[in-house]
Amino acid sequence: MAARRTRGMTGPDVNRSTVARAASIAEQLRYECSILLELYREKESFTADVLVDGRLVSVAPPSSQLDTRDKLWRLHSALMQCRSLLERAIAREEEELGGGKKGEYETQRKRVKDRLSYLLICTGELLKTAGGAALLTPSLEGLELDGPTALFELKLWVYRIFKEVDYWTITTLEALPSVIAKERVRTSRGRTTRSTRR
Amino acid sequence: MIIWIVLLSLFCKSTQDEKSQENGFLYCGPQNVTLQHSGWMLLLSWEDQPSCSAVQDVLIYQLVVLRTGQQVHYDEVSVTSDQIESTHYWNWTSSLALECASHSVRLRSQTSPWKEQTIPGKQTSEGPEVFPKDEWFKVGSTVTFCCILPSREAFSTMYLTGYDGAQLKTTSNQTYALTVHLNQVSENSCTNVICKTKTNKENGACVYIGYPPRYRDLRCETRDLESVECQWTVEGGKGRPFKKPKDPQLLGRPCPMPSEGRCSQKVEKVGVGERNWRLTAQNEFGKAELSDTADLSKRVHMFAPNGVKALTVNARSVILQWDWTVQQYNILNMTCQVHMCCGEITIIEHFGVGLNCAVLNGLIPNWTYNVTVRCGTAQYFWKWSDWSKKVLFQTYGDVPEALDVWMQMEGNQIKIIWKMTQAKLSHGLIKGYEVIWRKTTEKQQHHRTNLAFNKQSFSLSLNSTKEYIVTVTARNINGSSTPSTITIPSLNPAGHRVNTSRIIGSNRGFNLSWSASPAASCGYIVDWCPTSGPCTVDWLRVPPNKTNAKVFSKNFTDGQRFSFSVYACTQGAPLLLDKREGYFTEKSIKEGLFKSLKGKQQDSDFEVSWDPIYLKEQTAFIQGYVLYCLDNSNTVINFSTDDPDSTSLRARNLKMGFYNFTMRAQTSVGECGAAFITATLNSPTENLIGAVLILLVTVFGLLSLTTMLCFKHWTCIKQKVYPPIPKPVLTSAGEHGCHLLYMDQCHHSDVDILEVLELVCSEETPINGSVRQENILFVVSQTPKGYSNQPQEKCPPDPLTATTTKLPSLKGLPSSPFGSVFSNPSYNLIMKPGDRQSRSFPELQEGNSFERSIDGYQPQGLTETFHINPTEEDPGSPMSCVFTYVVLPQSLSK
Repeated sequence: MAARRTRGMTGPDVNRSTVARAASIAEQLRYECSILLELYREKESFTADVLVDGRLVSVAPPSSQLDTRDKLWRLHSALMQCRSLLERAIAREEEELGGGKKGEYETQRKRVKDRLSYLLICTGELLKTAGGAALLTPSLEGLELDGPTALFELKLWVYRIFKEVDYWTITTLEALPSVIAKERVRTSRGRTTRSTRR
Repeated sequence: MIIWIVLLSLFCKSTQDEKSQENGFLYCGPQNVTLQHSGWMLLLSWEDQPSCSAVQDVLIYQLVVLRTGQQVHYDEVSVTSDQIESTHYWNWTSSLALECASHSVRLRSQTSPWKEQTIPGKQTSEGPEVFPKDEWFKVGSTVTFCCILPSREAFSTMYLTGYDGAQLKTTSNQTYALTVHLNQVSENSCTNVICKTKTNKENGACVYIGYPPRYRDLRCETRDLESVECQWTVEGGKGRPFKKPKDPQLLGRPCPMPSEGRCSQKVEKVGVGERNWRLTAQNEFGKAELSDTADLSKRVHMFAPNGVKALTVNARSVILQWDWTVQQYNILNMTCQVHMCCGEITIIEHFGVGLNCAVLNGLIPNWTYNVTVRCGTAQYFWKWSDWSKKVLFQTYGDVPEALDVWMQMEGNQIKIIWKMTQAKLSHGLIKGYEVIWRKTTEKQQHHRTNLAFNKQSFSLSLNSTKEYIVTVTARNINGSSTPSTITIPSLNPAGHRVNTSRIIGSNRGFNLSWSASPAASCGYIVDWCPTSGPCTVDWLRVPPNKTNAKVFSKNFTDGQRFSFSVYACTQGAPLLLDKREGYFTEKSIKEGLFKSLKGKQQDSDFEVSWDPIYLKEQTAFIQGYVLYCLDNSNTVINFSTDDPDSTSLRARNLKMGFYNFTMRAQTSVGECGAAFITATLNSPTENLIGAVLILLVTVFGLLSLTTMLCFKHWTCIKQKVYPPIPKPVLTSAGEHGCHLLYMDQCHHSDVDILEVLELVCSEETPINGSVRQENILFVVSQTPKGYSNQPQEKCPPDPLTATTTKLPSLKGLPSSPFGSVFSNPSYNLIMKPGDRQSRSFPELQEGNSFERSIDGYQPQGLTETFHINPTEEDPGSPMSCVFTYVVLPQSLSK
């Protein structure tokens, strides 16, 4: 199966370059997220330890038993949820809280959203490579997108979403090297199997 | 304490009431009391007890509001007899969010016991909660926020973002209140109210702070006579930038473009007299209401004229025409203004009903105009319409306007000058000028010349004793201008002289005023020119009723002197009235003003002199000069003069010594133009000694030079002056019985050289070196050791006089022929050597040595210096001893 998947790829180099690109984008996104969080804290006069608990993104818990495809699936799904939440947060902010002048914060917010979309394209490509085209886009069903109605809670919710994007970006960045490593092992095992059969 | 007493009394009364009811006494009071709340408002409703129907009068209910058990409000509700048995409502708005504390309302009639309803405050279990949330507050209001903590949580802090110094107080164990005067608008988002516990649990609320619509100055009018258009001013304060405000309403209908502060609504009729026009505007912070009372028929603000065009264009007039987009304007009595520009801006007004054309006269020929039109109602003028679109047209050309001609006299030369015709006066392209001149006395005979278009002056050499009339005309394609004439006055040396006075420039020009002249029938002319250097005069004309002028020119520069002349314009020649000169601004004169600065000592005085100062170097009026004398001890003495024409200044009674002299000019801008000179002043004695020393040194030098030259060229000089002379030989003719006598020995001493020449005659021994001349033998004896004609100290000759006078007594001693006069009675020969020898005579007479100071060569000038007395014998012979020999007495005696 692994051999078939490997054959299904355009090649291990392409895969590796996609991972590298994804890692690069994730690195950039992490940096941009940190700036966005700083700008938001500054804008709302939040302290760094403002009460933000619980996760908004729900995915399967991490496990060492998960194979590459499942790991990628988990990351991709989490990032998809992050983007949906971020889009919703932006819309709620515009609607309820903002709509005024566009400043540095708004620019950074859009930058993060765009970067997250690029990262999703990369992780989507990796996932496609790992699991084939049959793997569908993760579902967002059950994701709480409305957020609270009270304005202060809404602000906290927005902040939580930014933190969530930050968290999953870091998680992705940390997970990508191990994905490459596993992929290499699998690829080499596949080759060994083939050579033994011969 | 008082509250407790009140409550206790109420409780006692209530107990009594219940007891009374129990006793069968029917009270009239509330029943079915319900308390609800909405936002900050408490809503109480109740009904009357059935027993109240018996009440004939007004039934009064008392209401008390308690917050956390403390009375915060008291109220009474009167129920008339016809309202009895209906449901009564009462409401009250709390100043504190109802979630912050429990609120109770007690109600009773005058005769009934209290009935109480309570709305409890918010309880929280998870984390702190802040109230009120998501509210809208006007800027300037004071609001109390509360933070409710879960039980067993300790309060840490509470604040509003951007606010300091808010008042915080505890209302109960778990509730904290923060009262804030809201004076800052929420700008980018709502303002956070944060509450924190000591366990770092944080929560908050968000509120908007802003202004209700801040509109003012509502002014309504009509433009099309069919609708009302109102305008208002939107104040610059920040309302609520994060949400679009609700549209304001005019006449109860929403306005489509409220942000522009303008709203228009159709009305049935405008001419219905005065009416109140009302505008309302509302947002979350409040409501604004503005009104304006106006009769729209008196407030017609017309639209701009449409399609303005120049219908008929002439050289000096044009007809403009336009139309109206609103048909009703055609019956409106209106006034219109035409604005013309590009030349002088002119506004011309026209009146009429339904005015749609205007005639413009007095235009400049060959000129481009830009014209716009605006109109307003004539009867009840409200405001002007906007200006119409501009229309451009050009008038036709015409002959040029008459030239402004003036003159400039430069000796016998008269320069006729005229101002270059401005475009608006030329009325077309100038092709040239014509100048005609004649004597005033000769009306028929005139001279004429044509000049090119670019000429601005013409010079004439005229007879200065005659008066001339000069006429100048300009010519363009349409013809010649009206001639401009000027009379050139004759120069009368005995004519009146006008003194020149000074003038100072001010405000970038010169203000001139002069006395009125009855001769000035056509006004005055002021002309001006730089005082020094060549220039073309500039001038301006002043009407007869004015005797002052402000002269401006771009040529006025600081530090340049200008001359002004004021002439009376007469029917004849202009009459010079006044002359001025001055600086636009006097400037400090540069250093080195004094050229050729020289100094001369005169005894203890020192006179400094300089060349006259050119006018062009005077950048300010010179009022005098000052000379500073600085000696070696740094003592400064100064001497000054107030005469600006001075060319010298004397410093008097100076001490002898070295001086630094500084010469400065005094002006109104201070002392300037410094020039420097140094000199050492000496006493007269010192000067004399110096002169003598110099003379001595010069003489010594000259002598030394001469001596050196003589020494160097001795041979040459000797050759020239004292050529070699053959040994003198005294020869004897034999027959004459003359003996040659050798003077080998000095009878005085053993000197080798004997200078004395002896003339002897010897027949026996011919001697070499004899000079024979016409049978005359002149013999000069020489010493045996060589030739010498110099006197020697060692062998001083006897005094010549003695030799001469005592010659007969001498025995064998030759006598010196130099410096001696032979007073020979036979030939009476006089030997006269140079002056030097002559001067020696006294010495010789005293028996001193002969020429003892002279050594070296003495030219043998015997043949030249010997004078033979011509009066004695043979005046034609230079030497009378030719035929006579000196016979020494000694020889004779031998």
